[in-house]
Amino acid sequence: MSREAFLARIRQAAAAGRAHRVHLRSDLPERVGYGGAGDDPAARLIDEVNAVGGQAHPAADLNEAREALAGLLEYYAPQTALCWRHPLLDRLGLDEALSQRNIARFDHDSLAPLDQAEQRQRMFAAEIGISSVSLAIAETGTLLLGSRPGQERLASLLPPVHVAIVEAAQIVPDLFDAFDRLNTDGVENLPSNLVLITGPSKTGDIELTLTTGVHGPGKWHVIVVKE
Amino acid sequence: MNEAPASAEDYAKHEHHSFLAASHAALDNPELQSALAKLGETLGQRNRDAFAALDESDLLRERARAIKDATLAELDHHLETLEASVRRRGGEVYFADDGAAACKIVLEILRARGLKRAVKSKSMTSEEIHLNAALEAEQIETIETDFGEYIIQVAGQRPSHLVAPALHLRIPQVAEILSRDAGEPLPVDAVELAAYARRRLRSAFAAAEVGITGANFAVAETGTIVLVSNEGNARLTTSLPRIHIAIMGIEKVIPRLADLPVFLKVLARAATGQKLSVYTSLVSGPRQPGELDGPDEFHLVLLDNGRSRILASPLRESLFCIRCGACLNACPIYRNVGGHAYGGVYAGPIGAVLTPLYDGLSANHHLPHASSLCGACQAACPVKIAIPQMLIELRDQLHREPGQLGRLEALAYRIWARAMRSPRLYRLGTWLATRTLGRWRRKSGWFERLPGQLHGWTERRDFPAPAPERFRDWWHDEGRAGQDEGRAGRPRPANDDEGRAGRPRPANDDEGRAGRPRPASDAEGRAGRPRPANDDEGRAGRPRPASDDEGRAGRPRPANDDEGRVGRPRPANEEGEQ
Repeated sequence: MSREAFLARIRQAAAAGRAHRVHLRSDLPERVGYGGAGDDPAARLIDEVNAVGGQAHPAADLNEAREALAGLLEYYAPQTALCWRHPLLDRLGLDEALSQRNIARFDHDSLAPLDQAEQRQRMFAAEIGISSVSLAIAETGTLLLGSRPGQERLASLLPPVHVAIVEAAQIVPDLFDAFDRLNTDGVENLPSNLVLITGPSKTGDIELTLTTGVHGPGKWHVIVVKE
Repeated sequence: MNEAPASAEDYAKHEHHSFLAASHAALDNPELQSALAKLGETLGQRNRDAFAALDESDLLRERARAIKDATLAELDHHLETLEASVRRRGGEVYFADDGAAACKIVLEILRARGLKRAVKSKSMTSEEIHLNAALEAEQIETIETDFGEYIIQVAGQRPSHLVAPALHLRIPQVAEILSRDAGEPLPVDAVELAAYARRRLRSAFAAAEVGITGANFAVAETGTIVLVSNEGNARLTTSLPRIHIAIMGIEKVIPRLADLPVFLKVLARAATGQKLSVYTSLVSGPRQPGELDGPDEFHLVLLDNGRSRILASPLRESLFCIRCGACLNACPIYRNVGGHAYGGVYAGPIGAVLTPLYDGLSANHHLPHASSLCGACQAACPVKIAIPQMLIELRDQLHREPGQLGRLEALAYRIWARAMRSPRLYRLGTWLATRTLGRWRRKSGWFERLPGQLHGWTERRDFPAPAPERFRDWWHDEGRAGQDEGRAGRPRPANDDEGRAGRPRPANDDEGRAGRPRPASDAEGRAGRPRPANDDEGRAGRPRPASDDEGRAGRPRPANDDEGRVGRPRPANEEGEQ
């Protein structure tokens, strides 16, 4: 079929349909429904992460964050971790934390030289995913993760446990603020994949009963560094 | 379509059956009734709580509605922008006039690359075009990955709810279905069954060559499609396979990235009461150089399939729908008969609008009547679609189609219309009715059986008789005296003929049945006694506007006053069973 005929038909229909427009109010403010996060966005983020079924770990500084991460690594005792490359993770000393416990680190540097089958095999086998975020939204307890080389989408998706480390500078109060930030960065610069994550993987498909971890991680930890 | 299949199982598998027969089967199905009983107090209540907790939620929904309205007015322009943006991001765009064309496009993409294994994330649009059947006919292994969709795919059934496709099944039924799939008995436990699905579907994801999705929204300026899910299957579908094909109705486009948060804020709240669903993915073309995951190719199929016809019509507003399912959860009819009774791809109030629009009005003539016009759907809708008004419009169109209105019925409506236009005739009519029928039934106030074609109304409940005295006469004699006490209607509200006169089309069989508020005891009633004087059915017909759906059905303009009432919990109505 022809693209031109398709679009011409819609052009005609859209014009005819204007006779049936239902919303011609001109007094609506541009921004409505802004929730915001109050005085302490980090505290709000922590509350909301817990409210949606995740587990937030407040940390006053990087040292406390390091301890929180160590606690999680001891608890889950994974053999393999699928990790982002990110400055915050470097400052945290993720490499040392993993190597001290003999946890194999899979990331872009170690995976890129392999062929795709081997990459996939390792990613599927990873027992924990560790990432930072592009942004976090306090009001909803949401993490924004943009994809780019070194910041793989699968790290927050394939392993049964996802740990994300967030610092204060990455937190915005509201969903609207997050999209404002994307607009400021330039809409043409969106990553190929941007995901907003609000909680562990959930389903209510059987009798509307909540079950976690059906496809994505069932355990979702967010370490919030308040400085 | 009168060759109706008989069992609930058949209705779950086949489309376009008689709504009446299917809803009878649904009411007699205890599993379904028990599954539906939870809906109002869970998803329905969460919708109301979530909007109540959000400041300016009403204005926000108005804003979402305004964006849809403005976008549709320039839809061709936004589609061209979307097309250019997707191409700029390295994706390909296709235009499909109808479902067959869309299936052909998908098949050609697969054939050209020799692909045989597909995974899908839940997409109502792909249901609409019957894509799975088309893929299977070409021996392409196609696996649904949404947990609920997977269950019903294994069972060979259709989805019964927009966001919870397996809502009609209970845990033991799901265990039986998945045990057959597993080839071993699985425990009757939701967590264990979900764990089985995770294992089973992980291997499907690992093997899949192509991922097929719908789109909740598409952002024209960025060439982004937006996928919302709670499970994460949409993310896996768009991250692992080499090819990603998205199929979307043309009405899903929004102009700017800045418009998206408006819709995200209302979508999840409406659907499940969440502030946001767990995963909202913004997919902008294939993977970029250096990325280790994501598809190599991205294909976007834009589907018309009747939408341009609707866009030009008075029912254009139905294209605002963002498929959240809130109207289903709010609807007293849906909560009684479930999704399969509607017989189309889309169920519930919005299905009663969309199915006649997409698949033909005459063939689906019951659907516009499958509503009490109570307005709960519009109150729950995140974009405030005036569903009751559209159902009335469809009823009107229907009655102008040849053969849809009996001569007797037509005559009755003509007389009714004439009388309603003339105060003198109306007064004479009510006077006659009170003097004859009203005085005849002075004691009981009810008719248990109406004659001739009207019998359908009383098949399952009583019909209220006119009062023995007109409201006008009573007002003249006594009412004004009562006004001094500040309570005008005091002595007569229970059998006030004015209120009853407001009932919509009492002769219409479908409406009445659909409006019955208490399905479970109803099935019991039919199995045993024909109509005990004091059972639930009897009560359904009586005017108790404060607490039952029938009462509200009679109001002429439901949309304007539903906000307040629907926002309040109504325990009598929603927790009466179980």
